[in-house]
Amino acid sequence: MNAPSPLLAGTLDLLILKTVSIGPMHGYAIAQHIHRLSNDALRVEEGSLYPALQRMQVKGWLASETKRSPTGRQARYYRLTAAGRKQLIAEEKAFRASVSATTLVLEGTKP
Amino acid sequence: MTLREILGRLSAWRRRDELGHQLAEDMHAHIELLARDLRQDGLSPDEARAAARRQVGNVTRALEESRDAWGFPRVDVVVGDLRYAARGLRRAPGFTTTVVVTLALGIGANAAMFGVIDRLMFRPFAYLRDPATVNRVYLQSTYRGRTTTSTTFPYRRFLDLSRMTSTAAMVAAESQWRFGVGEGEATRIRHVAGVSASYFDFFDATPVVGRFFGRAEDVPPVGAAVAVISHELWTTDFGRRDVIGRRLKVGMIPYTIIGVAPPGFRGTAEAAPPDVLVPITTIPSNLGSWAQSSYLADYRWDWTEVLVRRKAGFDAASLGRELTSAYVASRASARAINPRVLPDSLVHPLGIAGPVKSAAGPDAGMESRVLLWVAGVALLVLAIACANVANLMLARVLRRKREITVRLALGVSRGRLVAQLVTEALLLALLGGTAGIVAAQWGGVAIRRLLLPEGSDFNLATDWRTLAVAFVCALAATLATAIGPAILATRTDLAAALKAGPREGTLGRSRARTALVVAQGAMTVVLLVGAGLFVRSVIRVEALPLGYDAHPVLEVVLDFRGFKMDSAQSAATRRRLLAAARVLPGVVGASQINSYPFSTNTGDLRIDGIDSIQALGRFNFQIVSPGYFDVMQTRILRGRAITEADRDGAQLVAVVSEAMARALWPGRDPLGRCMHVGLGEHPEATSARCTTVVGIAENSAQQDLVDDPRFMYYIAAEQFAPAGLSSMLVRVAAPDASSHLEAVRRALTREMPGDGFVVVRPLQEVVDDHMRSWRLGATLFVAFGALALAVALVGQYGAISYQVTQRMHELGVRAALGARSRDVVWLVTWQSVRTGAIAVIIGLAVASSAARWVQPLLFRQSATDPLTYSIVAAGMVFAALLASALPATRAMRADPCTALRAE
Repeated sequence: MNAPSPLLAGTLDLLILKTVSIGPMHGYAIAQHIHRLSNDALRVEEGSLYPALQRMQVKGWLASETKRSPTGRQARYYRLTAAGRKQLIAEEKAFRASVSATTLVLEGTKP
Repeated sequence: MTLREILGRLSAWRRRDELGHQLAEDMHAHIELLARDLRQDGLSPDEARAAARRQVGNVTRALEESRDAWGFPRVDVVVGDLRYAARGLRRAPGFTTTVVVTLALGIGANAAMFGVIDRLMFRPFAYLRDPATVNRVYLQSTYRGRTTTSTTFPYRRFLDLSRMTSTAAMVAAESQWRFGVGEGEATRIRHVAGVSASYFDFFDATPVVGRFFGRAEDVPPVGAAVAVISHELWTTDFGRRDVIGRRLKVGMIPYTIIGVAPPGFRGTAEAAPPDVLVPITTIPSNLGSWAQSSYLADYRWDWTEVLVRRKAGFDAASLGRELTSAYVASRASARAINPRVLPDSLVHPLGIAGPVKSAAGPDAGMESRVLLWVAGVALLVLAIACANVANLMLARVLRRKREITVRLALGVSRGRLVAQLVTEALLLALLGGTAGIVAAQWGGVAIRRLLLPEGSDFNLATDWRTLAVAFVCALAATLATAIGPAILATRTDLAAALKAGPREGTLGRSRARTALVVAQGAMTVVLLVGAGLFVRSVIRVEALPLGYDAHPVLEVVLDFRGFKMDSAQSAATRRRLLAAARVLPGVVGASQINSYPFSTNTGDLRIDGIDSIQALGRFNFQIVSPGYFDVMQTRILRGRAITEADRDGAQLVAVVSEAMARALWPGRDPLGRCMHVGLGEHPEATSARCTTVVGIAENSAQQDLVDDPRFMYYIAAEQFAPAGLSSMLVRVAAPDASSHLEAVRRALTREMPGDGFVVVRPLQEVVDDHMRSWRLGATLFVAFGALALAVALVGQYGAISYQVTQRMHELGVRAALGARSRDVVWLVTWQSVRTGAIAVIIGLAVASSAARWVQPLLFRQSATDPLTYSIVAAGMVFAALLASALPATRAMRADPCTALRAE
């Protein structure tokens, strides 16, 4: 197994927003989700995930409530707000634009 | 930040504890979930838990990171700096106290002076609408190079001015009086303002009850007897009951109360606020038939002040030009009545639309100038305080140099360090400013009594203008004192400073400190020179021979309140009052007069053989009954005083002052000379006859204290005012008349017919009023000079003491090498004295170059007086010596052993 690569700078927010857009999720599930969907390539540092969740809450992109998880324990569930959804669309667009531009440069430059 | 984010952060900041808790909770939940999954992957529970912990990492660090999102990191930094500064200050109580007290004195002096000057000169009157467009009318005339500015005019001139000014949106007249108000026992002297109906249009004031009077009630010759009372009078005398329609006797007329002014309404009264406002057209009838018959007929009686509101688009200059031409036209109509009104070419009439507050106007008088000077002095005290504080801060920063260096070495940015030092200074300034307001409030009570009219509000804590000034002072003081030391502190060579002990690398810095000590010393010298000059000036004013002894004399003003008497009854009543006064216990003499000193008037006087007596100066008269010269202790130098024999029908006689005799008949015998005096009830008749000079009296100050040629003549009451006069002087046996004041007042009021009463006050008060502006300058200069000296002494002491501490090692080495303690003391003392001497030289140079500005405020006292300068110089050097005494004894104890051991 390859060691998971660190996240691209500035993509944590985008990944969280995208993940939560599926439906309310607790922090562990968010981390798991990103880990899994990236084929175990991306690993979210817990030490960054939770501060990020709070920051996005303060910014009004996420809202949270405590719910009982299917396994029966109490957990905080994060969900996307309307502002968060708007932010997600914007960030996704910006990310795609940046990636395709970067790709163009990479493809077009032969050593 | 968007608004949403700010709101989010704000609510997050408020819930920061809860959020922190939440974060920790989330992360612990995460650990548990992770451990569970790891267990499912086959790890033992303990291993799983440990691995999960490892993976999740440090919860505290995540908390720290997340904290940036919760609130306002910059605010948190400032709060942190403030806490840090507060802790630092608490740990150095000596430093903190000295700085706060020094700043408080500087800021307090300025807050108090500003509070006073603002109230006297700048603050607009309460309720005055759009004060920027309102002017007071000043009329000026310049006759023979001497300019007279007046703010009171004949009522007819007010009518002329209001008719002839087209740039004025409204014009109003006002006139301040003191009348007896009430009836019988309840009668009190009150401030009464006679105002035109248009006056109320200047204000945004609505009566609390009832109404103000209107134009129909303010019509010459006699307006309606209606009165508006002040809110205060309503509260104190009427208990806020329904007063509308009630009768109120004001002066000698019963008025009907129609309204109550709103609280704090004082109109444009510069002295005490009016208790009662009545139509100005009722004032003359309240003063008597002479006033009533003349106020519309001629221009002789100056009693009306005039306010103008300019139309939009016109400035004060254009209104002034219009006032000038109106004044010229008004003088022309005055000349039509009295041909002796001087031609315009001789007096250069000028109208000025000036500030409503006459203390800021063109005829502000000496007191305003002195006040502005003292305000400058207060600023100087603040500058001295700042120099001192800067010095202390510098010393503190140097003392903390190692700490600062270590922090710099550990990676604190210079900006953060400066920010922290400035925060500390700001905190000090805040403390100093607050203490300064308290000091100004306390010290200001004394200043207010000295300077402000009675009934002035002087609560500085609720006065935002003064608070703002104090705050600005504090801020300026901070910037001036903190920035320099802060920058200096961070500009250090790290390596060198870390290696060096306290022994090295301070000499250069102490040069900045010496410069500050010299600067504050020099400013103190300037202040002390000012104080010395003002004190010597006052001593000279007080040493002026007045030509009378006012201390044991009471001035009595009779107010008959319109009690109807014919001439004979009136004369008899006044004779009875005089006789009653003479037999009162402790009274040694009494005399009638027509006006007390400094209120005497000039009258119609001609001397055969002298064309224009006006060219020689101002000749004032005093009408007296026999005994006057004994009561006042004015010596008769030649001839005789006025006696009982000088009655109606006998030869008209006069006593003239020595100066007047010399001016009119230089080198010739004044006795027996003939003067034509047109005064009294039949001026034409007396003017036609000869009033013979029968005596020469010593010069006495009756016109003005210092600016007075002392030209006085005294004429007999029986001859020129047979119906009697309204003022009396009573001399008592005691050295101070005020002890008899109440007894005299009660006894004479009992003798008054009808509702009449008497007003008594010590004559010395009148004299003191005229001494006031002189004493004012001296008192304030001395007070601020002493303040400055104390602050400078503390600064000098601090600087020397610090130097000794720094040089303890060097001094110890010197002692080890054989220096005697005398040498060490000399070393320290010489340094202090040298600094003091440099300060003296600079200070005296500054003082002498400022001399010509102070000169006009001094009385027969050169502003470059060598004696004052020498005393201040000697005093300052002595003070420097004193400041070094304690550090010098400490230096003496420098221990050679300690020094050598450290080597």
